[in-house]
Amino acid sequence: MKLLKPTWVNHNGKPIFSVDIHPDGTKFATGGQGQDSGKVVIWNMSPVLQEDDEKDENIPKMLCQMDNHLACVNCVRWSNSGMYLASGGDDKLIMVWKRATYIGPSTVFGSSGKLANVEQWRCVSILRSHSGDVMDVAWSPHDAWLASCSVDNTVVIWNAVKFPEILATLRGHSGLVKGLTWDPVGKYIASQADDRSLKVWRTLDWQLETSITKPFDECGGTTHVLRLSWSPDGHYLVSAHAMNNSGPTAQIIEREGWKTNMDFVGHRKAVTVVKFNPKIFKKKQKNGSSAKPSCPYCCCAVGSKDRSLSVWLTCLKRPLVVIHELFDKSIMDISWTLNGLGILVCSMDGSVAFLDFSQDELGDPLSEEEKSRIHQSTYGKSLAIMTEAQLSTAVIENPEMLKYQRRQQQQQLDQKGATARETASASSVTGVVNGESLEDIRKNLLKKQVETRTADGRRRITPLCIAQLDTGDFSTAFFNSIPLSGSLAGTMLSSHSSQQLLPLDSSTPNSFGASKSCTEPVAATSARPAGESISKDSMIATSTPAALSPSVLTTPSKIEPMKAFDSRFTERSKATPGAPSLTSVTSTAVERLKDHNLVKEMRPRDLLESSSDSDEKVPLAKPSSLSKRKLELEVETVEKKKKGRPRKDSRLLPMSLSVQSPAALTAEKEAMCLSAPALALKLPIPGPQRAFTLQVSSDPSMYIEVENEVTAVGGVKLSRLKCNREGKEWETVLTSRILTAAGSCDVVCVACEKRTLSVFSTCGRRLLPPILLPSPISTLHCTGSYVMALTAAATLSVWDVHRQVVVVKEESLHSILAGSDMTVSQILLTQHGIPVMNLSDGKAYCFNPSLSTWNLVSDKQDSLAQCADFRSSLPSQDAMLCSGPLAIIQGRTSNSGRQAARLFSVPHVVQQETTLAYLENQVAAALTLQSSHEYRHWLLLYARYLVNEVIPMINLMSALPSQSV
Amino acid sequence: MAKVSVLNVAVLENPSPFHNPFRFEISFECSEALTDDLEWKIIYVGSAESEEFDQILDSVLVGPVPAGRHMFVFQADAPNPSLIPETDAVGVTVVLITCTYHGQEFIRVGYYVNNEYPNPELRENPPLKPDFSQLQRNILASNPRVTRFHINWDNQEDRLEAIENQDPALDYGLPLSYTPAKGLALPGCIPSLLPENSMDCI
Repeated sequence: MKLLKPTWVNHNGKPIFSVDIHPDGTKFATGGQGQDSGKVVIWNMSPVLQEDDEKDENIPKMLCQMDNHLACVNCVRWSNSGMYLASGGDDKLIMVWKRATYIGPSTVFGSSGKLANVEQWRCVSILRSHSGDVMDVAWSPHDAWLASCSVDNTVVIWNAVKFPEILATLRGHSGLVKGLTWDPVGKYIASQADDRSLKVWRTLDWQLETSITKPFDECGGTTHVLRLSWSPDGHYLVSAHAMNNSGPTAQIIEREGWKTNMDFVGHRKAVTVVKFNPKIFKKKQKNGSSAKPSCPYCCCAVGSKDRSLSVWLTCLKRPLVVIHELFDKSIMDISWTLNGLGILVCSMDGSVAFLDFSQDELGDPLSEEEKSRIHQSTYGKSLAIMTEAQLSTAVIENPEMLKYQRRQQQQQLDQKGATARETASASSVTGVVNGESLEDIRKNLLKKQVETRTADGRRRITPLCIAQLDTGDFSTAFFNSIPLSGSLAGTMLSSHSSQQLLPLDSSTPNSFGASKSCTEPVAATSARPAGESISKDSMIATSTPAALSPSVLTTPSKIEPMKAFDSRFTERSKATPGAPSLTSVTSTAVERLKDHNLVKEMRPRDLLESSSDSDEKVPLAKPSSLSKRKLELEVETVEKKKKGRPRKDSRLLPMSLSVQSPAALTAEKEAMCLSAPALALKLPIPGPQRAFTLQVSSDPSMYIEVENEVTAVGGVKLSRLKCNREGKEWETVLTSRILTAAGSCDVVCVACEKRTLSVFSTCGRRLLPPILLPSPISTLHCTGSYVMALTAAATLSVWDVHRQVVVVKEESLHSILAGSDMTVSQILLTQHGIPVMNLSDGKAYCFNPSLSTWNLVSDKQDSLAQCADFRSSLPSQDAMLCSGPLAIIQGRTSNSGRQAARLFSVPHVVQQETTLAYLENQVAAALTLQSSHEYRHWLLLYARYLVNEVIPMINLMSALPSQSV
Repeated sequence: MAKVSVLNVAVLENPSPFHNPFRFEISFECSEALTDDLEWKIIYVGSAESEEFDQILDSVLVGPVPAGRHMFVFQADAPNPSLIPETDAVGVTVVLITCTYHGQEFIRVGYYVNNEYPNPELRENPPLKPDFSQLQRNILASNPRVTRFHINWDNQEDRLEAIENQDPALDYGLPLSYTPAKGLALPGCIPSLLPENSMDCI
């Protein structure tokens, strides 16, 4: 073991409360007290690791410092992806930082010396909710949530995908909450507080799982932090400050039954921080010794107020190493490197220590694969414990995984886009606004800047905007885009004067489009079965429009060359306003579709980049542009519009029509190898994968394995389907590639590329000849003997394969999806074969087969649900946890009472009415879903509410539904 | 968190004759669009002894300010020599740039200014009555003193917080408590100093 105290890591003598190493190991952050504010500093890791780098003047040590916190920073934590840094402080705020790709380093103005910020980190979100100092923050596995705890006795769970949305506020502690840790499997979060308790909360419903108090009975609330930690295998939770026989300990809590039989003893004062090594280790195999398999073990570092640090291996009874007098004051935080061989420790005395271990000392770290295998063998499959590689190929089993995959793809594309942009910008002049270098601007700034007089005669200067505010995504692109627009417009005008270009704003005199009249109401492309070549041509804008498949296009000369790809980035139609809508495509659906077809889209993009140096490079460099991108684009263009620099861009036109992009259609066709009819609605289609595995159930253990194109028989490629049920295995082959599979305890079904759906019994018997689906499959689902297929054309079918009857026959989702950019976010099939669609707008519909109607069963925005207050009628906390399809759909938003509490101003009568209406709705919804359990629950609630709150109730009783399920 | 942070102040035309206007190129960043204008002021400290001799050289409104990085040049006339105590005309003093939003000052940038005769003869034997036309002003551009104050950026929130945060005792951002300006331990060779904190980053 090597020990180093890098003295250059300091906050000018002020205490350092937190340290965290970036997941990529290249930098680390410290948080603490600054001069007159809180301070977060990002440091370069390599000078810590290598002496040469430390001595090299050219290698920066400090990368960035942020003084934005108004008061002391208690915690800094990198997200698992490394993209964000969260910091929480005494100013009650949590700030989320993201690296900005600004044009270059800059100094913190006025900071003494030449401390350049090598990196720019920008605060992208400020999370306000806590009413007291924020003591600890923690990102959940895979960065879905961010948790924060505070001296206001609460823990707040933030939606890390959608800051600053709060998902839950965990109340229950009666003292200052000073530490948080997530279960590595994502099932729990644990918090430790000054109230002498450690609480474990479920992430499923954010309710308390258990509260552990015994080991803390003797504790005094005297430590600044109580940073507890969960072992990487998930088996143990280790607390900070606990007491055993009047001696300070770190209590080990077993996941199994939350038993508290063991502890780490030896520190002379309270334990402030415990941090598990992210790796699981196994004994290093010595040469010559017999390869005896040894149990994997974990490693844990414990820091204490007694200024000493101990490192433990769970396979040893005594600590691996204890370092006394490492600091002058209490240890405040510990962070392991991702490889598990180094730790950074920080102290109240304002210094930091680095410990470097060798593999001989700790053991051989298990690979992520092995670690994940351990997780899966213990906990089954879940999102949190899958590795990146597995996730990309895994079958989506729940909405979280779907969301995650989507996000992942998006991120990758973003990155690609960013790199593309970077390279693009590198080749051209950087730091150019309006075709002028910043230097030029500065020379003339005084002359050029707009100065006016206000009504009271004061000078007023309009500042020159030199960069858009960004979060790292857009500024460079913006810079490059502007000077090009003018020149491009010119060339376009000259070479393609015959083509119509949509004006951005006809009122602007120099609007490019305006010079060309363009009023023909043409829906240029909608039903155009544009081949790749056409879109290429139109994009390069070299071929004359007449060459564009005139047979299909009624008015080919009016195709605007840029539109073809414009639409793909903006999801807006290219129909001229006023033109009749030929096809309406849910834009989101198109986006999804594109998501699958991105590879295809790359091609035209390359072409274009080489052909024209246009301003369209900006969107082009981001083929991934999904909704977020779209927003930015719009923002960007709007921005430009403001500056009186309009462009011929059609993107700004507020179009009400949507037309599917031809390129997307083509690509989709190619991918499907099928000629699907032009469809009104488009749902995402799973792309073919080489192989995937799907866990159907864990008890009895049953999983399906699919391998596409495994064997070729006489030129025909076969795909293999394997099913393993409690060790019994069967397999079969299919002639088409399997796109998706689903299973229940009764049936296994797979949907193939050739639009066929095959259904097998769990013993492997083919129950039906392949069913031909009307259009490609989007989602497949099984519950019991019910099979549900949702096709890309947004039609839904449900069959009962045992009774061989159709439950729902090709029902269109048109009625529930129509109108806006909605998509299906979650699909559910109840035990009784009733399909439920959760839509992206928060509404959920179930299909009532007997009435053939779509019934609204849940609405997140339902004001009734928000106003209804029936807490008084709730029998107990457990009753709230009534589970069933309705609860799943409504996502347990049943904590409506909380909302109601905020709406005290609502007159009692109104509240009573809304509550009654809400309960009625719930009863009816449960009935329609044929969920007897829930029906009973809501009916009971309703009855109780009536008895408690509504008098006289006789009249109302008659209105109660008389059915019983 | 402050909505506006000053990224850089470049001192233009420095050193320059005493009567030349002050010119500062200010670049700042705004994290959220501001509803109202910023007000910038240049204050010339006539005498280190007393605030009485402070001159507000100019004040301008700057706006509209959308989110993003912005820059402008703030030009203000030279101080009125008649308001400067004769004893303080030559030597080191201070110029301040302040910015307020909704009447609350959130940043104060101070520069040391050295007024001296470039002519060695005059330097040796300064005239009893300062000859301002001969004086050269040199702003120590490399060493700005920046003081930031937490203010309330939103209207709706109660102003209490801002009042709390604004320490009334805060004088200038500069340690003005030094004994007469000449005694200030400035780096010896002021004339040779170049404005080095220019925006080379961009």
